[in-house]
Amino acid sequence: MSEQQDYEPRVVAFLCKWCSSAGSDLAGVSRIQYPANATPITVPCTGAISPMYILSAFNKGADGVLVSGCHIGDCHYLEGNYLARRKMYLIMKLLEFIGVEQNRFRMSWVSAAEGAKFAQVITDFVGDLQQLGPQDKLKRAENK
Amino acid sequence: MIKLQDIRDTARDMLAKGEARAVIGYRRGSRGMLAEPAFLTRPEEADELVWDPTCFHNLSLYLVHDRKHLAHARKTAGAPVAVIAKGCDARSIVVLLQEHYFQREDVYIIGVSCEGTGVVDERKLAGHLNGAQAISAAFDGDDFVFTTAEGEKRLPAREVMADRCLECCSPFPKEHNLAFGEDKTGRQLEAPFAALDRFEAQGAGERWDNWARHFDRCIRCFACRSVCPMCYCDECVVDSITFPVTTATTAEEKASRIRWIERSAARSENITYLMTRAMHLAGRCTDCGECDRACPVNVPIRLLNNKMEKEAREQFGFEPGASIGGPSLVASFLDNDPGNFIR
Repeated sequence: MSEQQDYEPRVVAFLCKWCSSAGSDLAGVSRIQYPANATPITVPCTGAISPMYILSAFNKGADGVLVSGCHIGDCHYLEGNYLARRKMYLIMKLLEFIGVEQNRFRMSWVSAAEGAKFAQVITDFVGDLQQLGPQDKLKRAENK
Repeated sequence: MIKLQDIRDTARDMLAKGEARAVIGYRRGSRGMLAEPAFLTRPEEADELVWDPTCFHNLSLYLVHDRKHLAHARKTAGAPVAVIAKGCDARSIVVLLQEHYFQREDVYIIGVSCEGTGVVDERKLAGHLNGAQAISAAFDGDDFVFTTAEGEKRLPAREVMADRCLECCSPFPKEHNLAFGEDKTGRQLEAPFAALDRFEAQGAGERWDNWARHFDRCIRCFACRSVCPMCYCDECVVDSITFPVTTATTAEEKASRIRWIERSAARSENITYLMTRAMHLAGRCTDCGECDRACPVNVPIRLLNNKMEKEAREQFGFEPGASIGGPSLVASFLDNDPGNFIR
């Protein structure tokens, strides 16, 4: 087997408790097949995600970080995802600025009814990460 | 042109009449041409004040120190503290007021306009003096005049000015109680973000190669954090020794605190530190450039902050330090914020 095939990207997925997390559940109970590379971390709201979580995930060895929340207008707390959109835009630009590959960070809106979309998002993300190979730019030496 | 005597007279008057508890300004330092921050409490000290191209410090930092000191001593402020502020420094004060760090009446802003020039960049100057040591510096129209052992050296300001001053469009302190110098808002010596744009013109690979070298060099002395008036948190998320410890703190509590990054100055930790700092300063940094100047290993920290400022301006129409009542960048949003990056 070539080295490329051995490599399984590790994705840290921050999922909003009210939608994307439920969306991932729906993907599961609907028996949709998708890669098992994502480690889900349920958060109360995407607005509660500090950019530090993302940096920390990369620091601890994530190959990709996904942030997924409710569609605009559907936030349980009314405006959390609007705030997240701004913050995530900034951290995305900052990562890009220092030269981290654009495809390592992704954000999506997945509602509780979109199990199929969740599966698709993960499949696409893992596919893109497979092409990029391991992330070692932001990774702590002891985790390499 | 600003007359130094006017600044001195104002400071003397304020201290004599008790209108200010202290005046924070600049005085001649003990090394070469450099000015240093001065804290005056007696009227007769007012003649120590100077105003020259080496007055680069952002004195709003000491307003933060003062506020912390008062809180520690459980004292109330009383008379305000007067502070000399350039355009960028005044914007820093506005951000601090925006965040309710202190009240407007606690501070008396003596604004000084940088007019057509700004402050000197020591690294750029060294290239022009061929090893000579400047013992004084002075503004003169569009030039800076330096005195060295060999005599006077006149240099066009734009050749030795700090990048941030070249790119500055608002050298006049908009928020002030009293202002000296001409209002040259809108002047443009170089396009805003010129240094950033030059850096960004490189490909992602080159950018990473550059940053990797910079991040490797960082010794995490936290000088950038120490000179920054916006880094006022008592507990710094990236520095575990700042976490409060009291006699009641158990060993278990100490051990179970989240350590976001390790204290070793390894590249990965330095990246996390500098990026976190850039995020914390997004929409708050007023580009006074002190972090960049204070860095002992020349990490271009200003570029990271500039990047955030540029994105904030272009995408969200946000101007840091524009008005005291204005919203903060990350605690506000617009319906038409960019969202096309979201799948």
